[in-house]
Amino acid sequence: MIDHARDVAPGDTLRADVCVVGTGAAGVPLALELAASGLSVLVLEAGEDRDDVATQALYAGTVADERLHSPPDKYRLRRFGGATGIWGGRSMPFDPIDFEPRSYIPDSGWPINANDLQPFWAPAAEYLEIGSAEFDAERAFTPPAPPLVRGFASDRVRTDSLERFSCPTPFGARYRGRLQRAAGLRLLLGAHCTHIQLAPDGARVQSLAVATLAGGRFTVEAARVVLAVGGLETARLLLASNDVAPQGVGNAHDVVGRYYMCHIAGNVGTLVFNGPPADVRHGYEVSPEGVYCRRRLCLTAETQRQLGLANMVLRLHFPKITDPAHRNGVLSGLFLARRLISYEYGKRLKDGDGGGLALTLRHLWNVLTDPVDTLAFLVHWLRKRTFAERKFPSVILRNRTNRFSLEVHAEQLPRADSRVTLGSEHDALGMPRLHIDWRYSPDDVTHVRRTLAVLAEEFARSGVGTLSVDPTTLEADLMRFGAYGGHHVGTARMGTDPRCSVVDAHCKVHGVVNLYIASSAVFPTSSQANPTMMIVAMALRLAKHMVPATAAATGEAS
Amino acid sequence: MRVLVLGGAGFVGRAVVQALREQAGVQAFSASRRAGSGAAAAQHHVLDARKPDALRAALHGMDAVVNCVTGDAATITEGARRLTEACTGAGRPLLVHLSTMSVYGSTQGWVDEATPLRTDLGWYGQAKIAAEQSVVAYAHSGGRAVLLRPGCVTGADSPLWVGRIAHWLRAGRLGDLGAGGDGWSNLVDVADVACAVVLALRLPWTPGEAPRAFNLAAPDSPRWNRYFMDFAIALQAVPVRRISARRLALDVALLGVPLKVAERLMRRLRLDSNALPPGIPPSLIPFWQQEIRLDSRAASHDLGLQFTPYTSLLATASGAAAHL
Repeated sequence: MIDHARDVAPGDTLRADVCVVGTGAAGVPLALELAASGLSVLVLEAGEDRDDVATQALYAGTVADERLHSPPDKYRLRRFGGATGIWGGRSMPFDPIDFEPRSYIPDSGWPINANDLQPFWAPAAEYLEIGSAEFDAERAFTPPAPPLVRGFASDRVRTDSLERFSCPTPFGARYRGRLQRAAGLRLLLGAHCTHIQLAPDGARVQSLAVATLAGGRFTVEAARVVLAVGGLETARLLLASNDVAPQGVGNAHDVVGRYYMCHIAGNVGTLVFNGPPADVRHGYEVSPEGVYCRRRLCLTAETQRQLGLANMVLRLHFPKITDPAHRNGVLSGLFLARRLISYEYGKRLKDGDGGGLALTLRHLWNVLTDPVDTLAFLVHWLRKRTFAERKFPSVILRNRTNRFSLEVHAEQLPRADSRVTLGSEHDALGMPRLHIDWRYSPDDVTHVRRTLAVLAEEFARSGVGTLSVDPTTLEADLMRFGAYGGHHVGTARMGTDPRCSVVDAHCKVHGVVNLYIASSAVFPTSSQANPTMMIVAMALRLAKHMVPATAAATGEAS
Repeated sequence: MRVLVLGGAGFVGRAVVQALREQAGVQAFSASRRAGSGAAAAQHHVLDARKPDALRAALHGMDAVVNCVTGDAATITEGARRLTEACTGAGRPLLVHLSTMSVYGSTQGWVDEATPLRTDLGWYGQAKIAAEQSVVAYAHSGGRAVLLRPGCVTGADSPLWVGRIAHWLRAGRLGDLGAGGDGWSNLVDVADVACAVVLALRLPWTPGEAPRAFNLAAPDSPRWNRYFMDFAIALQAVPVRRISARRLALDVALLGVPLKVAERLMRRLRLDSNALPPGIPPSLIPFWQQEIRLDSRAASHDLGLQFTPYTSLLATASGAAAHL
């Protein structure tokens, strides 16, 4: 059942076995699975069915350095379905090495391992609509897809690791019907959780305070509470609930909000292949399930361990869009249309501002002199993206020159002083706004540089191509747009020691018996992987943990 | 034990007859409006169940009768009424009546046999409920009866859930339906339905008690999307297409309705309507979304039925459809 918080009588107390706060990638699967097991579930969603300016404004906050991190109301949606309403769909699991304590990655190591998550990748793939949980390019396609680069073989570099693309599925619209129909589930839209009320002894959540933008207030009492509000809002809610626990819930040791990570990302280097362009498969493959998939380059786990390198992937990318020297009509068209593209997706097109009329004219010239490709691209884009429910994931150009840059997506080293805190301002509901001070380490750049060096060696050794990287511009290339937007990791990290973690191996907040967190906030390290699939898998694992084996009656088979 | 199977030439009826003939001590007689085919034809009787005298004569000396008759609303409703009347006049044999999950109407969620019946899903469900009522009345008047309520019955020659689905998948008209395919498929192997009939013959009984009802669906049968995806991949009808709700509605409106009209016309003209591609009936759009899940534990526990798992159903379907 889906209701609206405005219809709850002010001062009322709502009760349920479990209260799930948030309806994003974590909240929706979690709530559905819990309800299917027979528990009564109350789901609080702050947002509405569609975008609402006043609601979204509650996300506004401050950042220490605007060049390094986007404002907190970007890359997030305070809306039914959460950020799955704007995500790009890129899905892949974390790698086994991500869970290992690695001496060369400070504060690394999870209290769980890859085996603990194994049962949840397939159901997560189902929720994400990515066909299957097969991420090995050698096994995912029938007939087998051609290699990334014909003739390239290496013991140190893998090219068979896949990313699979969701529709991208917006969880709100996609699962509305199931949430509406699920027995024992009630979802309230427009219900902003503003406070976690701990019992006087601080050892359990007594209630949640809920507010509406129209001024309504009511209370939720649930045997167990799960925060599924994203990596930034988790910290905000825990820190702001500071009456019983003066430092905030779960923050006795000042860990909440710290170790805040995104991903280290950027387009770097120049990679030139020697053979015919047809030998390079830089675009998407389509799996039997109809899912777009793409191969990436990465170092094997052994190589990472041997050389002490962070986990990262690299994709074959086209040349820098903003520079008209590429003479490509499609890229220039994108550049010219950058103001029509949303903040989240247009950001990386905008460093050419300031080029003035001359730059615009040069791009316009590219479009006019490359009409066939530009038109073909437009037609393909309209058919396969604009009007398709399963959307073609991104711009892929025909490879004519065999020249690429590498798009890096790397884990960021955790650091305690990269953090989110409560700012001095308050939002319309009286909650302190967020202040974000995201920091990276010089070592983040070093790990990328050394990984690129291995790639360059391997390309040279196998004779397929040449990778050149200018070490003097590498840091600038990686930091041109700051932290990779939208991946908010680590603010309530998982661990066994309460002095340096916030939740335990079951995502339960240390010292609070009935408070759980389902979010990328609990990830102690960020992996090469985009976080969404891991968020869903962790939510499904949590759901399984929260359902006692005996309570799973007929719902067990689901 | 002598058992008469009405509708014995149909998809379910044939499987029932075959299963009965494998039982020691059971003599199975098959009857239906049209003549049987193949090896079984010799033991098949042509019988118009609408004629009370013929029906009574056929029931003579039978210990049990299995009603697998299907057809239009009148055939279902009137057929069941006349059959129970004839049974009353023919020594009250055990009546095993093939009903359907459609008697639960638009109900969603887990559904066991005690769930109230609903007539809100069109003529088929209404007719099958009326038929069940005749069976209940027969039991009240001292007859012995069992109701079987299967979900979607599959099998190598299932026209509804194998043949036409394979056609639509190959034509790219069906695939991953997103939210439109979130309904549970409630698939059940036709051999399991036949087995349930055999087991129902042995069910203990006290005179006067209401007929026992049993839901029949493989407990692990998935949502429709999963079935369509798995089936399409097995048929190599890949890559599987994502079919938007708009596109499916368009297919139903532009192809489904005209094809139905053409099919009726061709039948009237005595032409082979099988040459036409199958249209997608409008009723399937809400059906594929309906999150109804048959709870078939009673069949497992009380009948002792072991359901064929989904992977086997899928293998049978794809094996059969490969030759279509």
